[in-house]
Amino acid sequence: MSTGFPSAVLAIVRKDLRAELRSRDVISVTAMFALLSILVFSFALELDKVAREEAVSGVLWVTLVYASILGFNRSLALESDRGVLDGLLLAPISRSAIFLGKLLGNFAFTLIVLVVILPLMHVLYNKPLLSGWLIVTAVIGIFGFCAIGTLLATMTVQTRAREALLPIALLPVALPLLLTAVRATNGILRDTEWQVWLQILCGIGVIYFVMCWLLYGYVLEE
Amino acid sequence: MPRLLRVLTGVAILGFALTFYLGFFVAGRDIEQGEIQRIFYIHMPAFFGAFTAFGATVLGGVIYLWRKSDIWDKIALAGVEVGLAFALVNLVTGAIWARPIWNTWWTWDPRLTSAAIMALTYAAYLMLRAGIEDPNRKRAFMSVYGILAFVSVLTTLFIIRVVPETIHPVIVGASPQNAQGSFEATSGVITALVPSLLLWLTLMPITLIWHRVRLENRIEAVRRLKLSVLSE
Amino acid sequence: MRPMKRLIALLLPLLAINGILAQEEESQVPYFQSSAFNVPRLGGWEDQSTDTVAQFYYSPANATIRTAMAPEEDILAAVRQDLRDLVGTALGDQIYDGKVNLADGTWRSLIFEPDEVTTISVMARKAGSQTAIISFVERDPALRTVLLTLAQADDSLEDASPEIARAAKIIAGIDMKYLAPVEITALLSGEWIIYEGDGFTAMGMVFGNDSYVALQEGAPGDLTALVEAYNRTLLGFFITPDNSGYLALALAAVFAILGGLILSFYWRWRHLRQELAMIARLQAE
Repeated sequence: MSTGFPSAVLAIVRKDLRAELRSRDVISVTAMFALLSILVFSFALELDKVAREEAVSGVLWVTLVYASILGFNRSLALESDRGVLDGLLLAPISRSAIFLGKLLGNFAFTLIVLVVILPLMHVLYNKPLLSGWLIVTAVIGIFGFCAIGTLLATMTVQTRAREALLPIALLPVALPLLLTAVRATNGILRDTEWQVWLQILCGIGVIYFVMCWLLYGYVLEE
Repeated sequence: MPRLLRVLTGVAILGFALTFYLGFFVAGRDIEQGEIQRIFYIHMPAFFGAFTAFGATVLGGVIYLWRKSDIWDKIALAGVEVGLAFALVNLVTGAIWARPIWNTWWTWDPRLTSAAIMALTYAAYLMLRAGIEDPNRKRAFMSVYGILAFVSVLTTLFIIRVVPETIHPVIVGASPQNAQGSFEATSGVITALVPSLLLWLTLMPITLIWHRVRLENRIEAVRRLKLSVLSE
Repeated sequence: MRPMKRLIALLLPLLAINGILAQEEESQVPYFQSSAFNVPRLGGWEDQSTDTVAQFYYSPANATIRTAMAPEEDILAAVRQDLRDLVGTALGDQIYDGKVNLADGTWRSLIFEPDEVTTISVMARKAGSQTAIISFVERDPALRTVLLTLAQADDSLEDASPEIARAAKIIAGIDMKYLAPVEITALLSGEWIIYEGDGFTAMGMVFGNDSYVALQEGAPGDLTALVEAYNRTLLGFFITPDNSGYLALALAAVFAILGGLILSFYWRWRHLRQELAMIARLQAE
């Protein structure tokens, strides 16, 4: 018996979300981390109002990146401990469906973090963060980052050092994506040129998504 | 040592001596930048040498994933070690050039940043590799990572087209107006740069990768021997 | 061995991606180059340069532009020593002496008139323990030509008119308050304003915070050509920086990194040999 591709993807996403709704293991940790991070940055930059306004997009992306790294680690470590990945591999579904399912799950969690921190930063940093294009940029950037994160977290969760290795492997690879995302966000906030950065971001996002999709099959255990 | 490798090694050493002679004794002094301009005959070829070595990593990774033969993973690993050394040569010589010309060792210019990210990515490759125990898993994972990491190389190569506000001089094609401290303009381009570029692009990385692959073969043979001795 | 050959075959098309086209760019301005300094060569002037001195002669005005590096720290002594052979007489006291801050340092601006015929305009600055000297010597009996670089009294100047008037007053005692400029001409060195009065021509240009002024008394000569040549020399003059120390440092770094890579191969290789020896010992026991 073989399951259709879209339904397999949906099934995996639904499984992840349902498990998460029940335990709230991932969301509670990442959302809490994101909140703390924003507050810490806010205090750290409190004395210098100009610096705080200049640093907004940096703070936003650093927070999103570390919160999602925490989330990837947590979600895949739980799966690995419970043997869910092995189970999925035994099921008659394609590996790219597993990738898409895991990616969409991670994407959803990170979006929730975004939903929590954007309004908060809007208030704390006194910048118009709730604008349409900024949200589009954030969503595209997060999607690309989650694609790399899903692939690399599946790899690192099977290594000895596990949590420690993910940021080391992920950050340098994701930096071209993050730099463009920060540039685009900065451009939108300061109303300088940002369209070209958003286009580059889309391009890099697509490249990473396709690469990760193609390569994902090789990082699942044989 | 196979005869071809012996020949390659000899030619590479002679070639290095020759390009060194051409760049540091034959090519004229740049009147605007002074002697330091000569480092460019190593600086830019080193980047392209790293490009070749990391290219070997990508090819090794792709072929390993396809054919599952260990030798290609060894080539990929060798490419990372050699390419990282070349990338380091590129970064360090660039910084030392920038000190008298830009009056700073380092600046967060797009091209400099992406070159630094490139080096970091491959340093992460080595750390990640050391962290995976199961040999088959290690090979598959590192092939995947080696392919992903190449994006950072391409970014460094092409960022100048995308982000024109760099102050780094462009060598290939037209230089943007704001490039500070041009590298070109001396007759050394043909006499010293082209031979050096060819050497760093082909002979040096291939020879070093080959030596590193032979070392890896030896390492594995000894490991296997040790296991068989211990299991007796 | 076979995979290595295959790798070489596979890498070659990859190299084609680079498509390196390093174009040789001819430098636009022909330069006089010496180990001490560089100045543009003056087209149309007779080249009398030696290995260490750049000297160009223009017969219509009997004028010489000379650039040299004198091994003497005191600027006045250096200028006197440098021009002794060219002028043939003692320079006497300077009739003008001022300081100008240019991008590459503080220059001393000097005017000498050793005899009736000769007028000498000099720019000189310290370069290490030496003195760089750019001098304009004019020996046409019918003319008196002075080329002067002035630090502006007022930084906000838009054109050189007030500075031309100031220089005319200082050098020639001419009052040109009621004169209007006759022409504005664009030369390679910039936009010059030209005044013509009774028996004299004056030109001026503002560049940065400095004014470049030229005065010519007597029969109308080709002042523009002289101005252009002198200012191209002045603005085009530079000293090649001595950074061979950095080059040595960079080379040391290159050798250290490549040597480190090769040494690490060698050490690992030796370590393996030791291990093999140990295994052989274990097997023998």
